[in-house]
Amino acid sequence: MAQILVVEDDHDLNTAYRIILEHEKHVVETAYNGEEGLKKLKDFTPDLIVLDLLMPVMSGIDFLNEFRNMTSHAKVLVFTNLENSKEINEAFRLGADKCVVKAWTGPQGLLKVVNNILGTPATAKK
Amino acid sequence: MTSNDANVPTPQELIKSFKVQAAIAREERAKTDALFLSIGEGVIATDENGKIIRVNQRAIDLLGYPRREMIGKWFPKKIRAVTESGKPIRNIDRPISRSFVNGETIKEKMYYVRKDGSHMPVHVTISPIMLRNKPIGAIEIFRDITLENEMDKLKADFISLASHQLRTPLAAVQTYTNMFLQGYIGEVTEVQASFLNTILDASERMNDLISTLLNITRIEAGNLLINTEETDLNMLARNVMSELDSLAKEKNIKMTYQPTDDPLIVDSDPSLIREVVINLLTNAVKYTPEGGDVTIRLTKEGHTAVVEVIDSGFGIPLGEQDRIFTKFYRATNILKRDTTGTGLGLYLVKNIAERLGGDLMFTSFENQGTTFTFTLPSYDTVVPAKISI
Repeated sequence: MAQILVVEDDHDLNTAYRIILEHEKHVVETAYNGEEGLKKLKDFTPDLIVLDLLMPVMSGIDFLNEFRNMTSHAKVLVFTNLENSKEINEAFRLGADKCVVKAWTGPQGLLKVVNNILGTPATAKK
Repeated sequence: MTSNDANVPTPQELIKSFKVQAAIAREERAKTDALFLSIGEGVIATDENGKIIRVNQRAIDLLGYPRREMIGKWFPKKIRAVTESGKPIRNIDRPISRSFVNGETIKEKMYYVRKDGSHMPVHVTISPIMLRNKPIGAIEIFRDITLENEMDKLKADFISLASHQLRTPLAAVQTYTNMFLQGYIGEVTEVQASFLNTILDASERMNDLISTLLNITRIEAGNLLINTEETDLNMLARNVMSELDSLAKEKNIKMTYQPTDDPLIVDSDPSLIREVVINLLTNAVKYTPEGGDVTIRLTKEGHTAVVEVIDSGFGIPLGEQDRIFTKFYRATNILKRDTTGTGLGLYLVKNIAERLGGDLMFTSFENQGTTFTFTLPSYDTVVPAKISI
């Protein structure tokens, strides 16, 4: 069981990811853009952040820019529909641990990649 | 010889004739000058040493140098060229140098540095001027492509947006359908599962189509990103083959996998290679009749990794083989059997293969089968190049 923050602007997907992850007994908090995600981090200490990239108010890239200056052990799974894009390279440069295309990844795929990331030892980000 | 001889011109007649010829020559020269100066693109001509001998008004306007500052100067030194990131292009790599060496016309995009220091994106076409098989100079036509580049950027931004906006609702359809199938809201019956799988299949086809269209747009806009990593082609081919296993079983097609003895490593982009291999294998299964054979064979020839996809299918009619990599083209013998294809797959994968430094070729005989050969530089070719940098 892990603590997971889902940052995803699409309400349908946000809800689906919460259901899927809670089904596996993870503790899930949700946010609908990067700014909300940063606010959640004040009271919630996730082991993993599932992060969309293109979002209104604050994008996933801007979130990562802020997040990398915070002390957190959370891993970051970028879960986006962008592929073969500069944003993905930028996300890795800013410390993302893994990047997966949402449209190719069903519930089992999401759980598999989440478990893979959580299975690796966490390192403090600073 | 006397002036009385009717066939011999008098000195006066000779002088008159010379004057007329000189006037004609001047007129021709003036016309040529007017033609040269009126060309709407920048034009620079050099002598055989690369020194600028003529420039037209458009070149002066685009570069900002007055004519007198260019004439007589060595082209590569006076007109500096840089890459998109502003890195100077070595003289030896400049199209003018290569054109002199190879004696060929070269077309290329680069940035010219204007007199005020600003960088202007240009498309240049340079050709050697040959006289009796010997270069006596070169002529370059260049065009300011600032607007084209801006359009390309808009196109790239559109791709990014379209990629996201088309796929997000599709991801929701797929995720909820999968949740339904996997019992998140209770058990589903066999019939319900069958219907849900149909929804999933259709949405996956839509996803594939979006990917193909996006990749084609990226390639045509020059925005295809290549993320290289060490990739074992044997493993990649086996994985793709297993993905298509059920499709092959539906048609009772025998799939054969022939890897190399040792890992076949390339330093390339695995997701793009996968796109090529899955496309070729899917076509092979799709266009092979029931009970046929499809083989994927991996070999290494010198410094080249080779992936062959061999089928016993319908083949490509001989008269249509030169058009098979053309966008939207579909072979006539296939159109009669299958109307679901787009004619984009082979166009896309041929382009991907070339962008990865490889190639895609084929041999085909109608009603006997087709062999597609996808080549890539193997790892041992790539490593020394890296070390030498």
